[in-house]
Amino acid sequence: MEKDGRPNWDSPMQFVLACVSYAVGLGNVWRFPYLCQLHGGGGFLIPYLIMLLLEGLPLFYMELAIGQKMRLGSIGAWTSISPYLGGLGLASVVTSVYLCLYYNVINAWSFWYLFHSFQSVLPWAVCPINSNRTGPTEECEVATPTQYFFYRETLNISSSIEENGGIHTGQALCLVLAWAITYLFIVRGVKSTGKVVYFTATFPYLVLFIYLIRGVTLHGAINGLKYMFTPKMAELANPRAWINAATQIFFSLGLGFGSLIAFASYNQHNNNFQNQAIVVSLINSGTSIFASIVTFAIYGFKATLNYENCLDRMRLLLLNTFDLAEDAISMDSVLDFYFNYKLPLFLFQAVEGTGLAFIVYSEAIKNMPLPQLWSVLYFFMLLLLGMGSMLGNVTAIITPLRDFKIMSRMSNELFSGLVCVFCLLLGLGFTTTSGNYWFTIFNDYAATFSLLFIVLIEVIAVSYIYGIKRFEKDIEDMLGHRPNWYWKIMWAVTSPLLLIGLFIFYIINYIQGGTPTYQAWNKELVNQDLLFHEQE
Amino acid sequence: MLEKILLLLSLSLSVAEGLCKPGVGEAYKVRFSIKTALGDQAYPWNKNEMFLFRAALAFAMRDFTNGEEFGVSDIHPCNETQRVSFWFVVTRPKTMDLVDKGTVEMAIKKSRNRINGAFLLTDKTLEFDGIYPTLAAPVSPDTPPWLIVFGVVMGAVSVGIIALLVYPLVQRKLKKNMDADDEDSDEETGVKTAENGANDGIYNSTFSDDERFTQM
Repeated sequence: MEKDGRPNWDSPMQFVLACVSYAVGLGNVWRFPYLCQLHGGGGFLIPYLIMLLLEGLPLFYMELAIGQKMRLGSIGAWTSISPYLGGLGLASVVTSVYLCLYYNVINAWSFWYLFHSFQSVLPWAVCPINSNRTGPTEECEVATPTQYFFYRETLNISSSIEENGGIHTGQALCLVLAWAITYLFIVRGVKSTGKVVYFTATFPYLVLFIYLIRGVTLHGAINGLKYMFTPKMAELANPRAWINAATQIFFSLGLGFGSLIAFASYNQHNNNFQNQAIVVSLINSGTSIFASIVTFAIYGFKATLNYENCLDRMRLLLLNTFDLAEDAISMDSVLDFYFNYKLPLFLFQAVEGTGLAFIVYSEAIKNMPLPQLWSVLYFFMLLLLGMGSMLGNVTAIITPLRDFKIMSRMSNELFSGLVCVFCLLLGLGFTTTSGNYWFTIFNDYAATFSLLFIVLIEVIAVSYIYGIKRFEKDIEDMLGHRPNWYWKIMWAVTSPLLLIGLFIFYIINYIQGGTPTYQAWNKELVNQDLLFHEQE
Repeated sequence: MLEKILLLLSLSLSVAEGLCKPGVGEAYKVRFSIKTALGDQAYPWNKNEMFLFRAALAFAMRDFTNGEEFGVSDIHPCNETQRVSFWFVVTRPKTMDLVDKGTVEMAIKKSRNRINGAFLLTDKTLEFDGIYPTLAAPVSPDTPPWLIVFGVVMGAVSVGIIALLVYPLVQRKLKKNMDADDEDSDEETGVKTAENGANDGIYNSTFSDDERFTQM
């Protein structure tokens, strides 16, 4: 316990694990592999690693330094730098509130899938039967069973964002559970968070490792891996690849929310955060690459399976149409009769986000031997990744607000409880039938643009308002040596320029995009085989 | 006499042949996928198997119509192919009247399992074109299994939260009892050290702010 009564991490290891647990989240699993595929497989690593050096590492280091020096949450820390910058901290808190509202809904979905894995037949493996008992329900027939389970049984989704329905009770229960567990983890502040992160930071790696072994031994996984590891260097000429690399590094490290400042504020004054910053950033990027190997193995398996199923269907169709003997056409000779299907076509269906995690992966899992085990493992890992990130998000709200004198009169437990209940009640809106559309709005717009702005102001404030010289001295005070020229150039020149570039790009994109659109799942269009349709 | 019988027989056969026309009237197509179902243990398709099929179908008709004496000769197959698929029609016993499609369909639906079993096949590998198998009713347990797992986890979390909230209150109560005992012993030692001399630099607990530190 320090002299000013601020709680501390029990050891520097807890701090590192907390940062790892926060930074390594769902985005590493479902956004990075998608970007990798979009921008030519292995070649994407080059812009990714370059952006890590130019932008990710310096900004991460800067946030940790500020938190550890000021020993206050984001609002207090920025107010100490300049009284006019208090709004910057407030912006971080508001963005964190938005994030907390919708992020725990993903954890609720993970819980839902996890609980439904304890059945002899996974519910997303087969379609439910219609009332005549002649076949699957119409909606499920047009879509696939996994899509049906996600959109109809998990979300009970309505046809458009305007159509509101009631709350899905199953979802609401899972959301309550998600918030209860979040409260359980943060109720004692860093004392409880510090113990929990030992588990939430390490166990996902165990599961990823198990999945790696399982994944590469699956039939057809090698096709996916080959696709990933053959880099298409031509993609590097596409500026989109570089922009996506920059944004991915930026959001993956969780900069701008105030969580890193909050975590670092509980450090000892002399904690060596420089090495820790490098370690955490490298672990984060390494996990992304690791997860994409697993994902591509799963893609390869799924694509090969679909391909072979398709060949089999063709074979059956040929046999039935021409009434040939059953062994007249084997699987290999189908192609002699019918030329159009090629494997790479199936690999081309890149998916990201909740579609990847809940539809593509669960479809792959249902085809594995002993699917219940793999399903439980997978969704448990998703839960740990999501919960780990939630710890950081909620800490980013509570720590700055606790620094205000008014709030500190309330006990820790009561304040944390109030924050959790508040977010829970508002989050129930995402469990209604149109909730997924609201979720998409929040996911796409709540944090992205604001964060760029926040971090841009942060780096300009530190480099030019506070001054690099004063910042250097503070770091020397804490670490015992000054940061070398690499860090200083990045803070003063490269990172601000990069961020301004990204900011301008986003604005242009937004203006050019016109009215935002979204994809809707429309039950009424089942007869026209058009389950997904864009709507303005 | 013999010639007349032969003539009648051949006539009836040719009429029956005429009755069974693929795709027309009351004919149904059936398709066997024996190698798909049984693999190495597949039996070859021959006249005996065809006889078994006709017998099974005759049984199905008898069972449905409650005793009308259908026989093997009332099932007329035609257009047999290598796939093992063929068309067939059903005629009323002792006449050449075709049984309508609806009745045949219902008879087959009723005895589908028995027909499948006779050939060691399933609904998927023994297909009647146009007759959809009746799928098994879904099993719905009283409590959905997910709710049970949810209940367990929720219960554990609630216990955890209550434990974490109650524990420090209990600790504080115990400490208060301990402090009440400690204060008496402190007064004695405090007096003793003051007598020994203040030069030893012993920490004077009167000005400490221990209270603030212990409360988080």
